[in-house]
Amino acid sequence: MAGRRRKRLDLTTPGLLGLPLAWLVAFFLVPIGIVGAYSIDVFSIYPAKHPVTFAGWDDFLHSAIYLKLFWKSVRMSLIVSVLVVLLAYPVAYYLALGGTKRKYVLLLILIAPFLTSYLLRVLAWKVILGSNGVVNSFLYWLGVRAHDDPVSQLLYSRFAVMLVLVYVWLPFVALPIFVSLETLDRRLLEAAADLYASRWQAFRRVTLPLSLPGVVAAFLFVFIPTVGEFVTPSLVGGTSGYMYGNQISDLFGTGFPDWRTGSVLALFLLGVVAVLTGVFSRFLGMRQAGAR
Amino acid sequence: MDAALSKNGCRMLRGLFGLVVVFLYAPIAILLLFSFNDSVLPSFPLSGFTLTWYRQFIHDPELIGALETSAIVAALSSVGAVVLGTLASIPLARRRFRGKGAVSALLLSPLVVPYVVLGISLLLLFHAVGVPRTIMTVVIGHIVISLPYTLLVLIPRLQQIDVGLEEAAYDLGANRLQTFRLIILPLILPALVSAFLISFTTSFDEYAVASFVVGSRATFPLYLYGALRFPSRLPEVLAVAVVVMTVSLVVVVGAELGRRIAERRLGALPS
Repeated sequence: MAGRRRKRLDLTTPGLLGLPLAWLVAFFLVPIGIVGAYSIDVFSIYPAKHPVTFAGWDDFLHSAIYLKLFWKSVRMSLIVSVLVVLLAYPVAYYLALGGTKRKYVLLLILIAPFLTSYLLRVLAWKVILGSNGVVNSFLYWLGVRAHDDPVSQLLYSRFAVMLVLVYVWLPFVALPIFVSLETLDRRLLEAAADLYASRWQAFRRVTLPLSLPGVVAAFLFVFIPTVGEFVTPSLVGGTSGYMYGNQISDLFGTGFPDWRTGSVLALFLLGVVAVLTGVFSRFLGMRQAGAR
Repeated sequence: MDAALSKNGCRMLRGLFGLVVVFLYAPIAILLLFSFNDSVLPSFPLSGFTLTWYRQFIHDPELIGALETSAIVAALSSVGAVVLGTLASIPLARRRFRGKGAVSALLLSPLVVPYVVLGISLLLLFHAVGVPRTIMTVVIGHIVISLPYTLLVLIPRLQQIDVGLEEAAYDLGANRLQTFRLIILPLILPALVSAFLISFTTSFDEYAVASFVVGSRATFPLYLYGALRFPSRLPEVLAVAVVVMTVSLVVVVGAELGRRIAERRLGALPS
Protein backbone atom coordinates (compact mmCIF):
# COMPACT_ATOMS: atom_id res chain seq x y z
CA MET A 1 0.00 0.00 0.00
CA ALA A 2 1.79 3.03 -1.29
CA GLY A 3 -0.40 5.48 0.59
CA ARG A 4 0.49 4.06 3.95
CA ARG A 5 4.17 4.05 3.19
CA ARG A 6 4.09 7.81 2.75
CA LYS A 7 6.36 9.07 5.48
CA ARG A 8 4.86 11.55 7.88
CA LEU A 9 7.54 11.17 10.50
CA ASP A 10 10.95 9.65 10.03
CA LEU A 11 11.32 7.00 12.73
CA THR A 12 14.50 5.37 11.49
CA THR A 13 17.53 5.54 13.75
CA PRO A 14 19.22 8.41 11.84
CA GLY A 15 15.89 10.21 11.64
CA LEU A 16 15.44 10.07 15.40
CA LEU A 17 19.03 10.92 16.28
CA GLY A 18 19.43 13.69 13.70
CA LEU A 19 17.87 16.56 15.60
CA PRO A 20 19.41 15.91 19.04
CA LEU A 21 22.84 15.38 17.51
CA ALA A 22 22.52 18.48 15.34
CA TRP A 23 21.58 20.49 18.43
CA LEU A 24 24.65 19.39 20.33
CA VAL A 25 26.93 19.92 17.35
CA ALA A 26 25.59 23.43 16.80
CA PHE A 27 25.37 24.55 20.42
CA PHE A 28 28.06 22.49 22.13
CA LEU A 29 30.81 21.28 19.77
CA VAL A 30 30.93 24.27 17.40
CA PRO A 31 31.02 26.76 20.32
CA ILE A 32 33.96 24.88 21.82
CA GLY A 33 35.63 25.05 18.41
CA ILE A 34 35.10 28.81 18.43
CA VAL A 35 36.72 29.00 21.87
CA GLY A 36 39.67 27.20 20.29
CA ALA A 37 39.70 29.72 17.45
CA TYR A 38 39.80 32.62 19.91
CA SER A 39 42.59 30.97 21.87
CA ILE A 40 44.90 31.09 18.83
CA ASP A 41 43.70 34.44 17.48
CA VAL A 42 41.87 33.05 14.43
CA PHE A 43 39.00 35.07 15.90
CA SER A 44 39.68 38.13 17.95
CA ILE A 45 37.72 40.92 19.61
CA TYR A 46 40.09 43.48 18.19
CA PRO A 47 39.14 44.59 14.67
CA ALA A 48 42.62 44.16 13.15
CA LYS A 49 43.12 40.63 11.79
CA HIS A 50 45.84 38.76 13.58
CA PRO A 51 47.87 35.96 12.12
CA VAL A 52 47.42 32.64 13.90
CA THR A 53 49.48 32.74 17.06
CA PHE A 54 50.00 30.50 20.03
CA ALA A 55 51.09 33.44 22.17
CA GLY A 56 48.03 33.02 24.39
CA TRP A 57 48.95 29.42 25.17
CA ASP A 58 52.60 30.35 25.59
CA ASP A 59 51.75 33.10 28.06
CA PHE A 60 49.45 30.78 29.95
CA LEU A 61 51.90 27.90 30.27
CA HIS A 62 54.64 30.26 31.47
CA SER A 63 52.47 32.34 33.73
CA ALA A 64 52.88 31.91 37.45
CA ILE A 65 49.49 33.48 38.23
CA TYR A 66 47.10 31.38 36.17
CA LEU A 67 48.72 28.02 36.87
CA LYS A 68 49.01 28.81 40.55
CA LEU A 69 45.34 29.73 40.60
CA PHE A 70 44.53 26.52 38.76
CA TRP A 71 46.35 24.38 41.35
CA LYS A 72 44.72 26.30 44.16
CA SER A 73 41.31 25.48 42.66
CA VAL A 74 42.29 21.84 42.18
CA ARG A 75 43.40 21.64 45.82
CA MET A 76 40.20 23.25 47.12
CA SER A 77 38.06 21.10 44.89
CA LEU A 78 39.93 17.93 45.88
CA ILE A 79 39.46 18.65 49.58
CA VAL A 80 35.77 19.30 49.00
CA SER A 81 35.23 16.13 46.94
CA VAL A 82 37.09 13.92 49.42
CA LEU A 83 35.23 15.38 52.39
CA VAL A 84 31.89 15.00 50.67
CA VAL A 85 32.56 11.36 49.77
CA LEU A 86 33.85 10.57 53.28
CA LEU A 87 30.69 12.05 54.79
CA ALA A 88 28.27 10.55 52.27
CA TYR A 89 29.69 7.02 52.28
CA PRO A 90 28.76 6.03 55.85
CA VAL A 91 25.36 7.67 55.48
CA ALA A 92 24.65 5.83 52.22
CA TYR A 93 26.00 2.64 53.85
CA TYR A 94 23.57 3.03 56.72
CA LEU A 95 20.63 3.54 54.35
CA ALA A 96 21.56 0.70 51.99
CA LEU A 97 22.74 -1.96 54.44
CA GLY A 98 21.54 -0.86 57.88
CA GLY A 99 18.28 -2.77 57.53
CA THR A 100 16.29 0.44 57.92
CA LYS A 101 12.65 0.42 57.01
CA ARG A 102 11.62 3.23 54.68
CA LYS A 103 15.12 3.67 53.34
CA TYR A 104 13.82 5.32 50.18
CA VAL A 105 11.98 7.93 52.22
CA LEU A 106 15.17 8.65 54.18
CA LEU A 107 17.12 8.82 50.92
CA LEU A 108 14.62 11.33 49.55
CA ILE A 109 15.02 13.43 52.72
CA LEU A 110 18.76 13.40 52.13
CA ILE A 111 18.55 14.33 48.45
CA ALA A 112 15.67 16.82 48.60
CA PRO A 113 17.84 19.87 49.43
CA PHE A 114 19.78 19.29 46.22
CA LEU A 115 16.58 19.78 44.28
CA THR A 116 16.00 23.25 45.66
CA SER A 117 17.74 26.37 44.48
CA TYR A 118 21.51 26.37 44.49
CA LEU A 119 21.83 30.13 44.87
CA LEU A 120 19.38 30.16 47.75
CA ARG A 121 21.37 27.53 49.62
CA VAL A 122 24.50 29.63 49.15
CA LEU A 123 22.50 32.63 50.35
CA ALA A 124 21.63 30.74 53.55
CA TRP A 125 25.33 30.50 54.40
CA LYS A 126 25.82 34.18 53.68
CA VAL A 127 23.19 34.84 56.33
CA ILE A 128 24.82 32.41 58.75
CA LEU A 129 28.45 33.43 58.32
CA GLY A 130 28.25 37.20 57.73
CA SER A 131 29.75 39.65 60.23
CA ASN A 132 26.21 40.50 61.36
CA GLY A 133 25.11 36.98 60.63
CA VAL A 134 23.71 34.19 62.73
CA VAL A 135 27.00 32.84 64.10
CA ASN A 136 28.47 36.23 64.98
CA SER A 137 25.31 37.69 66.44
CA PHE A 138 24.95 34.56 68.52
CA LEU A 139 28.50 35.08 69.80
CA TYR A 140 27.75 38.74 70.66
CA TRP A 141 24.61 37.63 72.44
CA LEU A 142 26.53 35.09 74.49
CA GLY A 143 29.10 37.79 75.19
CA VAL A 144 31.92 35.68 73.76
CA ARG A 145 32.79 38.37 71.23
CA ALA A 146 32.38 42.15 71.45
CA HIS A 147 30.03 43.82 68.96
CA ASP A 148 32.83 45.52 67.06
CA ASP A 149 34.92 42.36 66.90
CA PRO A 150 33.17 39.77 64.68
CA VAL A 151 34.89 36.55 63.61
CA SER A 152 35.55 38.04 60.20
CA GLN A 153 37.23 35.13 58.45
CA LEU A 154 33.95 33.16 58.51
CA LEU A 155 32.63 34.77 55.33
CA TYR A 156 34.67 35.80 52.28
CA SER A 157 37.35 33.18 52.78
CA ARG A 158 38.60 29.93 51.31
CA PHE A 159 36.99 28.19 54.30
CA ALA A 160 33.58 29.65 53.44
CA VAL A 161 33.85 28.51 49.82
CA MET A 162 34.76 24.96 50.78
CA LEU A 163 32.12 24.74 53.51
CA VAL A 164 29.40 25.91 51.13
CA LEU A 165 30.55 23.56 48.37
CA VAL A 166 30.49 20.61 50.77
CA TYR A 167 27.02 21.67 51.85
CA VAL A 168 25.76 22.05 48.31
CA TRP A 169 27.11 18.76 46.93
CA LEU A 170 26.65 16.40 49.88
CA PRO A 171 23.05 15.36 49.09
CA PHE A 172 23.86 14.67 45.45
CA VAL A 173 26.79 12.39 46.18
CA ALA A 174 24.88 10.11 48.50
CA LEU A 175 22.89 8.82 45.51
CA PRO A 176 25.55 7.03 43.38
CA ILE A 177 27.14 5.55 46.51
CA PHE A 178 23.76 4.36 47.74
CA VAL A 179 23.01 2.74 44.39
CA SER A 180 26.33 0.89 44.30
CA LEU A 181 25.80 -0.43 47.85
CA GLU A 182 22.14 -1.23 47.30
CA THR A 183 22.88 -3.43 44.28
CA LEU A 184 25.57 -5.31 46.16
CA ASP A 185 24.84 -9.04 46.47
CA ARG A 186 24.25 -9.63 50.21
CA ARG A 187 25.15 -13.30 49.86
CA LEU A 188 28.76 -12.24 49.36
CA LEU A 189 28.77 -10.73 52.85
CA GLU A 190 27.14 -13.82 54.31
CA ALA A 191 29.73 -15.97 52.57
CA ALA A 192 32.49 -13.79 54.01
CA ALA A 193 30.99 -14.20 57.49
CA ASP A 194 30.73 -17.98 57.01
CA LEU A 195 34.40 -18.01 56.15
CA TYR A 196 35.17 -16.30 59.48
CA ALA A 197 35.83 -12.86 58.09
CA SER A 198 35.15 -10.15 60.65
CA ARG A 199 32.74 -7.41 59.64
CA TRP A 200 35.67 -5.08 59.12
CA GLN A 201 37.46 -7.62 56.91
CA ALA A 202 34.28 -8.24 54.93
CA PHE A 203 33.88 -4.50 54.48
CA ARG A 204 37.48 -3.97 53.41
CA ARG A 205 37.74 -6.99 51.09
CA VAL A 206 34.19 -7.23 49.70
CA THR A 207 31.95 -4.20 50.21
CA LEU A 208 34.48 -1.44 49.65
CA PRO A 209 35.97 -2.79 46.39
CA LEU A 210 32.50 -3.53 44.99
CA SER A 211 31.20 -0.08 45.83
CA LEU A 212 34.28 1.65 44.43
CA PRO A 213 32.69 2.48 41.05
CA GLY A 214 29.96 4.37 42.87
CA VAL A 215 32.55 6.15 44.99
CA VAL A 216 34.62 7.15 41.95
CA ALA A 217 31.49 8.34 40.13
CA ALA A 218 30.46 10.35 43.18
CA PHE A 219 33.92 11.86 43.45
CA LEU A 220 33.90 12.91 39.78
CA PHE A 221 30.37 14.33 40.04
CA VAL A 222 31.66 16.73 42.69
CA PHE A 223 35.17 17.38 41.44
CA ILE A 224 34.26 18.32 37.87
CA PRO A 225 31.73 21.04 38.62
CA THR A 226 33.59 22.40 41.65
CA VAL A 227 36.99 22.76 39.98
CA GLY A 228 35.44 25.19 37.46
CA GLU A 229 33.14 26.79 40.03
CA PHE A 230 32.77 30.56 40.01
CA VAL A 231 29.35 31.32 41.46
CA THR A 232 29.94 30.21 45.04
CA PRO A 233 33.41 31.80 45.33
CA SER A 234 32.10 35.07 43.92
CA LEU A 235 29.36 35.11 46.57
CA VAL A 236 31.21 33.90 49.67
CA GLY A 237 34.88 33.72 48.67
CA GLY A 238 36.14 37.29 48.72
CA THR A 239 39.71 37.59 47.45
CA SER A 240 41.18 34.59 49.26
CA GLY A 241 38.45 32.30 47.94
CA TYR A 242 38.90 33.45 44.32
CA MET A 243 39.06 30.42 42.02
CA TYR A 244 40.14 29.55 38.48
CA GLY A 245 36.52 29.71 37.28
CA ASN A 246 36.27 33.29 38.55
CA GLN A 247 39.32 34.18 36.50
CA ILE A 248 37.71 32.74 33.35
CA SER A 249 34.46 34.48 34.07
CA ASP A 250 36.23 37.81 34.72
CA LEU A 251 38.23 37.59 31.50
CA PHE A 252 34.90 37.52 29.65
CA GLY A 253 33.33 40.15 31.89
CA THR A 254 32.87 43.82 31.28
CA GLY A 255 35.89 45.00 33.30
CA PHE A 256 39.01 44.12 31.35
CA PRO A 257 37.91 41.53 28.81
CA ASP A 258 40.64 39.37 27.32
CA TRP A 259 38.90 36.71 25.29
CA ARG A 260 42.12 35.11 24.04
CA THR A 261 43.49 34.41 27.51
CA GLY A 262 40.01 33.48 28.74
CA SER A 263 39.63 30.97 25.90
CA VAL A 264 43.01 29.44 26.69
CA LEU A 265 42.08 29.07 30.36
CA ALA A 266 38.68 27.56 29.50
CA LEU A 267 40.14 25.05 27.04
CA PHE A 268 42.82 24.02 29.52
CA LEU A 269 40.13 23.35 32.13
CA LEU A 270 38.06 21.44 29.58
CA GLY A 271 41.10 19.35 28.62
CA VAL A 272 41.86 18.44 32.23
CA VAL A 273 38.25 17.48 32.85
CA ALA A 274 38.08 15.45 29.62
CA VAL A 275 41.24 13.50 30.53
CA LEU A 276 39.94 12.82 34.04
CA THR A 277 36.58 11.64 32.73
CA GLY A 278 38.25 9.45 30.11
CA VAL A 279 40.65 7.84 32.58
CA PHE A 280 38.02 7.26 35.23
CA SER A 281 35.26 6.09 32.92
CA ARG A 282 37.60 3.39 31.62
CA PHE A 283 38.40 2.54 35.20
CA LEU A 284 34.69 2.48 36.06
CA GLY A 285 33.92 0.29 33.06
CA MET A 286 36.69 -2.16 33.97
CA ARG A 287 35.53 -2.32 37.55
CA GLN A 288 31.98 -3.05 36.57
CA ALA A 289 33.02 -5.71 34.11
CA GLY A 290 35.26 -7.28 36.73
CA ALA A 291 32.50 -7.41 39.30
CA ARG A 292 30.22 -9.43 37.11
CA MET B 1 23.76 -11.74 63.06
CA ASP B 2 23.75 -9.13 60.38
CA ALA B 3 26.75 -9.39 58.10
CA ALA B 4 26.90 -5.74 57.17
CA LEU B 5 26.59 -3.87 60.44
CA SER B 6 26.81 -4.56 64.17
CA LYS B 7 24.20 -3.13 66.54
CA ASN B 8 26.58 -0.46 67.80
CA GLY B 9 27.76 0.35 64.31
CA CYS B 10 24.18 0.79 63.24
CA ARG B 11 23.50 3.12 66.15
CA MET B 12 26.57 5.21 65.33
CA LEU B 13 25.67 5.51 61.67
CA ARG B 14 22.11 6.43 62.56
CA GLY B 15 23.55 9.23 64.69
CA LEU B 16 25.72 10.38 61.80
CA PHE B 17 22.71 10.31 59.47
CA GLY B 18 20.85 12.52 61.95
CA LEU B 19 23.75 14.98 62.09
CA VAL B 20 23.96 15.15 58.30
CA VAL B 21 20.24 15.84 58.06
CA VAL B 22 20.57 18.63 60.64
CA PHE B 23 23.54 20.06 58.71
CA LEU B 24 21.49 20.00 55.50
CA TYR B 25 18.28 21.46 56.87
CA ALA B 26 19.46 23.92 59.53
CA PRO B 27 20.49 26.60 57.00
CA ILE B 28 17.14 26.23 55.26
CA ALA B 29 15.37 26.54 58.62
CA ILE B 30 17.37 29.71 59.29
CA LEU B 31 16.18 31.23 56.02
CA LEU B 32 12.63 30.41 57.07
CA LEU B 33 13.10 31.92 60.53
CA PHE B 34 14.59 35.22 59.36
CA SER B 35 12.07 35.66 56.56
CA PHE B 36 9.52 36.31 59.35
CA ASN B 37 11.87 38.42 61.46
CA ASP B 38 11.04 42.09 61.88
CA SER B 39 14.51 43.46 61.13
CA VAL B 40 16.54 44.27 58.04
CA LEU B 41 19.57 42.52 59.54
CA PRO B 42 19.36 38.75 59.89
CA SER B 43 20.88 38.54 63.36
CA PHE B 44 20.08 37.30 66.87
CA PRO B 45 18.22 38.08 69.02
CA LEU B 46 15.06 37.95 66.91
CA SER B 47 13.11 41.19 66.88
CA GLY B 48 9.55 40.00 66.30
CA PHE B 49 7.20 38.44 63.81
CA THR B 50 6.28 40.17 60.55
CA LEU B 51 4.90 39.44 57.12
CA THR B 52 6.29 42.70 55.69
CA TRP B 53 8.92 40.98 53.59
CA TYR B 54 6.40 38.68 51.95
CA ARG B 55 4.11 41.62 51.22
CA GLN B 56 7.06 43.57 49.84
CA PHE B 57 8.11 40.86 47.43
CA ILE B 58 4.62 40.28 46.07
CA HIS B 59 4.55 43.98 45.16
CA ASP B 60 8.03 44.12 43.65
CA PRO B 61 7.48 44.26 39.87
CA GLU B 62 11.15 43.61 39.08
CA LEU B 63 11.16 40.43 41.13
CA ILE B 64 7.84 39.16 39.80
CA GLY B 65 9.08 39.92 36.27
CA ALA B 66 12.22 37.88 36.87
CA LEU B 67 10.15 34.96 38.16
CA GLU B 68 7.99 35.15 35.02
CA THR B 69 11.02 35.28 32.74
CA SER B 70 12.48 32.22 34.44
CA ALA B 71 9.18 30.37 34.18
CA ILE B 72 9.05 31.06 30.43
CA VAL B 73 12.69 30.05 29.91
CA ALA B 74 12.24 26.91 32.00
CA ALA B 75 9.04 25.89 30.20
CA LEU B 76 10.49 26.37 26.71
CA SER B 77 13.82 24.73 27.48
CA SER B 78 12.30 21.72 29.20
CA VAL B 79 9.87 21.10 26.35
CA GLY B 80 12.83 21.30 23.98
CA ALA B 81 14.99 19.02 26.08
CA VAL B 82 12.24 16.44 26.55
CA VAL B 83 11.44 16.34 22.83
CA LEU B 84 15.09 15.95 21.86
CA GLY B 85 15.65 13.50 24.72
CA THR B 86 12.72 11.33 23.66
CA LEU B 87 13.91 11.25 20.04
CA ALA B 88 17.41 10.24 21.07
CA SER B 89 16.52 7.81 23.84
CA ILE B 90 14.49 5.46 21.61
CA PRO B 91 17.38 4.34 19.41
CA LEU B 92 19.82 4.49 22.32
CA ALA B 93 17.68 2.23 24.48
CA ARG B 94 16.12 -0.10 21.93
CA ARG B 95 18.28 -0.43 18.84
CA ARG B 96 21.73 -1.50 17.82
CA PHE B 97 23.65 0.66 15.40
CA ARG B 98 27.20 1.54 14.54
CA GLY B 99 28.77 4.33 16.55
CA LYS B 100 26.26 4.00 19.39
CA GLY B 101 28.97 4.43 22.00
CA ALA B 102 30.20 7.66 20.43
CA VAL B 103 26.67 9.01 19.99
CA SER B 104 25.70 8.39 23.61
CA ALA B 105 29.03 9.81 24.80
CA LEU B 106 28.39 13.02 22.85
CA LEU B 107 24.80 13.32 24.04
CA LEU B 108 25.82 12.86 27.68
CA SER B 109 29.01 14.92 27.56
CA PRO B 110 27.49 18.27 28.63
CA LEU B 111 27.13 16.58 32.05
CA VAL B 112 30.88 16.66 32.58
CA VAL B 113 31.70 20.07 31.17
CA PRO B 114 32.06 22.87 33.74
CA TYR B 115 29.27 25.40 33.25
CA VAL B 116 31.70 28.28 32.97
CA VAL B 117 33.10 26.66 29.81
CA LEU B 118 29.61 26.02 28.38
CA GLY B 119 28.65 29.60 29.15
CA ILE B 120 31.61 31.33 27.54
CA SER B 121 31.56 29.02 24.50
CA LEU B 122 27.92 29.92 23.82
CA LEU B 123 28.74 33.58 24.39
CA LEU B 124 31.45 33.37 21.73
CA LEU B 125 29.15 31.47 19.35
CA PHE B 126 26.37 34.05 19.58
CA HIS B 127 28.93 36.81 19.23
CA ALA B 128 30.51 35.16 16.16
CA VAL B 129 27.22 34.68 14.30
CA GLY B 130 25.86 38.02 15.45
CA VAL B 131 22.83 36.72 17.37
CA PRO B 132 21.67 39.26 19.95
CA ARG B 133 21.43 37.91 23.49
CA THR B 134 17.81 37.43 24.58
CA ILE B 135 15.91 34.90 26.63
CA MET B 136 16.01 32.61 23.57
CA THR B 137 19.79 32.32 23.86
CA VAL B 138 19.30 31.25 27.48
CA VAL B 139 16.73 28.68 26.34
CA ILE B 140 19.24 27.27 23.81
CA GLY B 141 21.90 26.91 26.52
CA HIS B 142 19.49 25.32 28.97
CA ILE B 143 18.42 22.71 26.42
CA VAL B 144 22.08 21.69 26.08
CA ILE B 145 22.31 21.35 29.88
CA SER B 146 19.01 19.49 30.37
CA LEU B 147 19.17 17.07 27.44
CA PRO B 148 21.54 14.61 29.19
CA TYR B 149 19.33 14.56 32.30
CA THR B 150 16.29 13.63 30.22
CA LEU B 151 18.30 10.77 28.68
CA LEU B 152 19.31 9.50 32.12
CA VAL B 153 15.63 9.32 33.07
CA LEU B 154 14.20 8.01 29.78
CA ILE B 155 16.75 5.40 28.68
CA PRO B 156 16.46 3.15 31.79
CA ARG B 157 12.67 3.38 31.59
CA LEU B 158 12.62 2.39 27.90
CA GLN B 159 14.96 -0.51 28.62
CA GLN B 160 12.49 -1.84 31.18
CA ILE B 161 9.69 -2.10 28.66
CA ASP B 162 9.23 -5.60 27.25
CA VAL B 163 10.28 -5.71 23.58
CA GLY B 164 7.50 -8.28 23.10
CA LEU B 165 4.88 -5.55 23.50
CA GLU B 166 6.33 -3.67 20.58
CA GLU B 167 6.65 -6.81 18.47
CA ALA B 168 3.04 -7.72 19.22
CA ALA B 169 1.95 -4.29 18.02
CA TYR B 170 3.88 -4.72 14.76
CA ASP B 171 2.40 -8.20 14.31
CA LEU B 172 -1.06 -6.70 14.67
CA GLY B 173 -0.31 -4.30 11.83
CA ALA B 174 0.67 -1.16 13.69
CA ASN B 175 3.35 0.95 12.09
CA ARG B 176 6.22 2.50 14.01
CA LEU B 177 4.43 5.74 14.77
CA GLN B 178 1.29 3.96 15.97
CA THR B 179 3.36 1.63 18.10
CA PHE B 180 5.07 4.60 19.67
CA ARG B 181 1.87 6.53 20.27
CA LEU B 182 -0.26 3.65 21.53
CA ILE B 183 2.26 1.42 23.31
CA ILE B 184 5.49 3.20 24.20
CA LEU B 185 4.21 6.69 24.97
CA PRO B 186 1.69 5.69 27.67
CA LEU B 187 4.31 3.48 29.32
CA ILE B 188 6.98 6.18 29.45
CA LEU B 189 4.60 9.00 30.36
CA PRO B 190 5.58 9.08 34.06
CA ALA B 191 9.25 9.17 33.04
CA LEU B 192 8.51 11.97 30.57
CA VAL B 193 6.87 13.98 33.31
CA SER B 194 9.83 13.55 35.63
CA ALA B 195 12.27 14.38 32.83
CA PHE B 196 10.27 17.55 32.22
CA LEU B 197 10.31 18.50 35.89
CA ILE B 198 14.03 17.85 36.27
CA SER B 199 14.71 20.02 33.23
CA PHE B 200 12.34 22.69 34.48
CA THR B 201 13.90 22.94 37.94
CA THR B 202 17.42 22.81 36.47
CA SER B 203 16.65 25.70 34.15
CA PHE B 204 14.74 27.71 36.74
CA ASP B 205 17.75 27.57 39.05
CA GLU B 206 20.55 27.92 36.50
CA TYR B 207 22.81 30.92 36.96
CA ALA B 208 26.25 30.15 35.50
CA VAL B 209 25.42 29.64 31.81
CA ALA B 210 22.58 32.17 31.85
CA SER B 211 24.88 34.86 33.22
CA PHE B 212 26.93 34.76 30.00
CA VAL B 213 24.15 34.56 27.43
CA VAL B 214 21.30 36.51 28.99
CA GLY B 215 20.08 39.74 27.43
CA SER B 216 18.45 42.65 29.22
CA ARG B 217 15.63 40.56 30.76
CA ALA B 218 17.03 39.01 33.93
CA THR B 219 16.03 35.50 34.92
CA PHE B 220 15.26 34.81 38.58
CA PRO B 221 18.75 33.53 39.54
CA LEU B 222 20.32 36.59 37.89
CA TYR B 223 17.94 38.85 39.76
CA LEU B 224 18.79 37.07 43.02
CA TYR B 225 22.51 37.38 42.41
CA GLY B 226 22.10 41.09 41.81
CA ALA B 227 19.89 41.56 44.86
CA LEU B 228 22.40 39.81 47.12
CA ARG B 229 24.75 42.75 46.73
CA PHE B 230 22.31 45.11 48.47
CA PRO B 231 21.94 44.22 52.17
CA SER B 232 18.70 46.21 52.44
CA ARG B 233 17.01 43.83 50.01
CA LEU B 234 18.09 40.74 51.91
CA PRO B 235 14.90 40.15 53.95
CA GLU B 236 12.76 40.35 50.83
CA VAL B 237 15.06 37.84 49.14
CA LEU B 238 14.71 35.54 52.15
CA ALA B 239 10.94 35.63 51.76
CA VAL B 240 11.19 34.73 48.08
CA ALA B 241 13.69 32.04 48.97
CA VAL B 242 11.25 30.39 51.32
CA VAL B 243 8.44 30.46 48.76
CA VAL B 244 10.59 29.18 45.88
CA MET B 245 12.18 26.42 47.96
CA THR B 246 8.85 25.24 49.31
CA VAL B 247 7.28 25.14 45.88
CA SER B 248 10.23 23.34 44.29
CA LEU B 249 10.43 20.81 47.14
CA VAL B 250 6.72 20.05 46.94
CA VAL B 251 6.80 19.73 43.15
CA VAL B 252 9.90 17.56 42.98
CA VAL B 253 9.09 15.26 45.88
CA GLY B 254 5.47 14.99 44.74
CA ALA B 255 6.56 14.18 41.19
CA GLU B 256 8.98 11.49 42.34
CA LEU B 257 6.34 9.82 44.52
CA GLY B 258 3.77 10.16 41.73
CA ARG B 259 6.14 8.55 39.22
CA ARG B 260 6.75 5.60 41.56
CA ILE B 261 3.02 5.04 42.05
CA ALA B 262 2.22 5.45 38.35
CA GLU B 263 4.95 3.06 37.28
CA ARG B 264 3.80 0.49 39.81
CA ARG B 265 0.25 0.79 38.42
CA LEU B 266 1.46 0.47 34.84
CA GLY B 267 3.25 -2.61 36.16
CA ALA B 268 3.26 -5.81 34.12
CA LEU B 269 6.79 -5.00 33.07
CA PRO B 270 9.90 -6.95 33.82
CA SER B 271 12.02 -4.72 36.00
